[in-house]
Amino acid sequence: MNNAMIGFIVGSVLKIEGILLLGPCAAALWYRENAGWYYLCVAVFCMLVGWLMTRRAPEDHVFYLKEGCVSTALSWLVLSFFGGLPMYISHQIPSFIDAMFEAASGFTTTGATILSDVEGIAHATQLWRSMTHWIGGMGILVFLLAIIPLSGGSNMNIMRAESPGPSVGKLVPKVRHTARILYLIYIGLTALELIFLLCGGMSLFEAVNHSMATAGTGGFGVRNDSFASYSPYLQWVATVFMILFGINFNMYYFLVFRQFRKAFGMEEVRNYLLVVLAGIVFVFCCIYPQYGVADGARHAAFQVSSIISTTGFSTANFDAWPQAARAMLVLLMFIGACAGSTAGGLKVSRVGIAIKTMKKELTAYLHPKSIKKIQYEGKPVEHEVVRSINVYFITFLILFAGSVLLISFNGYGMETNLSAVAATINNVGPGLDKVGPTTNFGHFSVFSKCVLIFDMIAGRLELFPLLMLFHPTIWKEAASSSRLGRRLKKKNLQ
Amino acid sequence: MSSKKDKQGLKIIIVGAGNVGSTLVEQLAHEGHDITIIDIVARKIQAITDNYDVMGIIGNGASYSVLMEAGIEQADLMIAVTEADELNLLCCTVAKRVGRCAAIARVRMPDYSKEVQYLQEQLGLALVINPEMETAKEAARILAMPTALEVMSFAHGQAEMIKLAIPEGNGLAGMTIAEMAKKLPVSALVCAVERKGEVFIPSGSFCLESGDTLSFAAPRRNIRVFMDTFGFKSRRVRDTLIVGGSKASYYLAQELLHAGIAVKIIEQNRNRCEELSVLLPKAVIINGDGTDEALLKEEGIERADSFVPLTGIDEVNIILTLYAKKISDAKVITKINRMNFKSVVNSLELGSVIYPRYITAEAIVAYVRARSESRNNSIETLYHLFDHRVEAIEFVVDESSEVTGRPLMEMRQQMKKELLIAFINRNGHIIIPGGSDTIEVGDTVMIVTKHTGLQKLTDILN
Repeated sequence: MNNAMIGFIVGSVLKIEGILLLGPCAAALWYRENAGWYYLCVAVFCMLVGWLMTRRAPEDHVFYLKEGCVSTALSWLVLSFFGGLPMYISHQIPSFIDAMFEAASGFTTTGATILSDVEGIAHATQLWRSMTHWIGGMGILVFLLAIIPLSGGSNMNIMRAESPGPSVGKLVPKVRHTARILYLIYIGLTALELIFLLCGGMSLFEAVNHSMATAGTGGFGVRNDSFASYSPYLQWVATVFMILFGINFNMYYFLVFRQFRKAFGMEEVRNYLLVVLAGIVFVFCCIYPQYGVADGARHAAFQVSSIISTTGFSTANFDAWPQAARAMLVLLMFIGACAGSTAGGLKVSRVGIAIKTMKKELTAYLHPKSIKKIQYEGKPVEHEVVRSINVYFITFLILFAGSVLLISFNGYGMETNLSAVAATINNVGPGLDKVGPTTNFGHFSVFSKCVLIFDMIAGRLELFPLLMLFHPTIWKEAASSSRLGRRLKKKNLQ
Repeated sequence: MSSKKDKQGLKIIIVGAGNVGSTLVEQLAHEGHDITIIDIVARKIQAITDNYDVMGIIGNGASYSVLMEAGIEQADLMIAVTEADELNLLCCTVAKRVGRCAAIARVRMPDYSKEVQYLQEQLGLALVINPEMETAKEAARILAMPTALEVMSFAHGQAEMIKLAIPEGNGLAGMTIAEMAKKLPVSALVCAVERKGEVFIPSGSFCLESGDTLSFAAPRRNIRVFMDTFGFKSRRVRDTLIVGGSKASYYLAQELLHAGIAVKIIEQNRNRCEELSVLLPKAVIINGDGTDEALLKEEGIERADSFVPLTGIDEVNIILTLYAKKISDAKVITKINRMNFKSVVNSLELGSVIYPRYITAEAIVAYVRARSESRNNSIETLYHLFDHRVEAIEFVVDESSEVTGRPLMEMRQQMKKELLIAFINRNGHIIIPGGSDTIEVGDTVMIVTKHTGLQKLTDILN
């Protein structure tokens, strides 16, 4: 284990977080709020610690997948801790675990909140919550890759650990350039949404918050009723952009470079849009007696895109909708959006390959000697990929079941427990019943909140990087290489 | 670091992820180029993309759609180094039709290698490389100078750079570079010295010790004088025993026979033996197992002047050279294709070691570096010395710049440390430069330096 390099990466992440924390400081300055001081303190502290950790660049740049996973997982834990700290020390969120929950929910783009009155908190905190979505959406380590040069192929190991999806493809040969392109697309789309929202008459502060929250497919709003009190135009804008941010960013890259055939030939994107369409039609059929055609279509489209892109905004209390519509929404939570987007969930490509594997198994029953290689995006899928997807499903299931069991000690009903875990592990936000769109997660016990925080981070990092931290070998290796380092240092001193 | 890395690299497509392909990826990625590698075997691509920051594509590199996916339209250079010559040529042909890139192909079959000139011109290739031929040439150069560990040729063979180990009790031990130069009747320059694993670019006051390995550059005819002055025996090799009848063996045999050295080749495959006997009528071809101790003794390994195992298996080559060193005092050359354990290989005292994949990579890296510089300051030859820690680069000076027309003495202050100008080649005349010499337009200049990655001559200044 290359401890020095892991420390260097975590330190760099802290430095960036310190700089980002200046954002809420500026908002506090503008609105003359005291909370700004607390943000400033934490910002300075982060930058100081980050600077201390990155003072000397490590000599050994060798970096394998395990180091990539460990540094990603540690970075996210550190990120959530320092992200929640200012909310806690400024007494905006009086309980420590609640502040951690809020920050983790922000960075993992879940959008599940413990606040019952969002309008009552400082503007600085509101802005910070949205910013965490934006940073967490594309990933802070991907950002790191875009700005600091790491030698060799090792940086691919970081990208692989942080990017959503079963396999990570590069757009251009160098990781650094790929990361830059992704961020440019991300910034471009966010700015576009901002303009559309401003045109609809939303105030600048709210538009900035909402476009960042949509871009990261997060779901924190600035109003207690989320999107319900905005005009239909603004709701439609949000609907479209939620769908757009769930699309694999490679498609935008192809569009920019006018490779239209490649862009529109992407199987995953096509499947995603089909599922969205089917979901909207299904939900619309269930709710139109209640709302009528125009409102029904709007609510159905908004809610389906909000759930499948794992954003979690709401325009209506979908918890009160007919059972079929509620069931559909929960199912959509699991599918999630495309790999290579900012969304959570299982990802359309994983589900697609899993369905094809199932079909293959059926064929094998009919023709036991038949040979068929699964194809996706027009290319044969290697056995290794299929295997890793199967394992992903199993691991997901075990974590899901375990979490449901652990939070059931609260004494809530099955519907609450199941949907709370589904909403957090898929990074969606609101669930059903006691965690529905009109309520929040504040009433859970401290222990349950810890479990849900774990679920959110595990879901965002696609399970394995976080689970790696629980493998004893990782700690043994880290300890033995730090012992080795000390011995070498002693030798050099002599 | 960042200024060097930020420079826009060339967009290079490499087809074939074998030995040479992966070495090229390693070296070109290190120099900051944008590389896409294509191979039909997914496993190979996976291994390379795991280790290097490059893009991998699985598919046939000669197919139009695969090349389009790799971005051939924007590529600057296409390098085809697959197993098959025909495929390499096809890749380059397709690439040239689709994109506007330069193309380099590896062609190693003797049938085609005679027609390299024709192929290069007709297909418009930038470079045709033949690692087997280059390996053979390098082996032949070493056999012509058996005391040397390595012989590198510069300025179209006018100058050479020789690597020697200083044995116990040699006249050079305990002598400084300046004293050595005084004692030497002709001019020669010590460019680099390796001592206990560390490399130095020596100044005049540097004192040599026995056990050091030194590299010196000199005009070709002065080399024998240098050897004689300091008591290095420079007997000629009269006969050679080669194990393995590969392409490299054929090329080497041809070179040696041409120089009047008797050649004996041991090859296991009877059909190949018959082919070789037709191709090389003057050589003695033995059909048998080259790893059989009795056969080697029968064929006189104890009395042989030189012994070159050229089998495809590195381990066999190493064992055979170790064996030959033990039972005879033949000059031995070890060819290592694949292995990476350089520190172990170095400690085995295998004598001269040749790495074909580095030879190929050096030629291509030299070409790429010359291209990535927009100005016409091109690189004639490039060699890596002492495990890539030192580079010897020959630049062509074809326009005036801040380094031309100025006495070297005057520039010394501005020049980088750990860098020296080994010689200046003016119209085929090799000058070992002193303080008053100047670099002029039309010269070629050889630089030896520990600063790897120089792209143009003016990079020698700070």
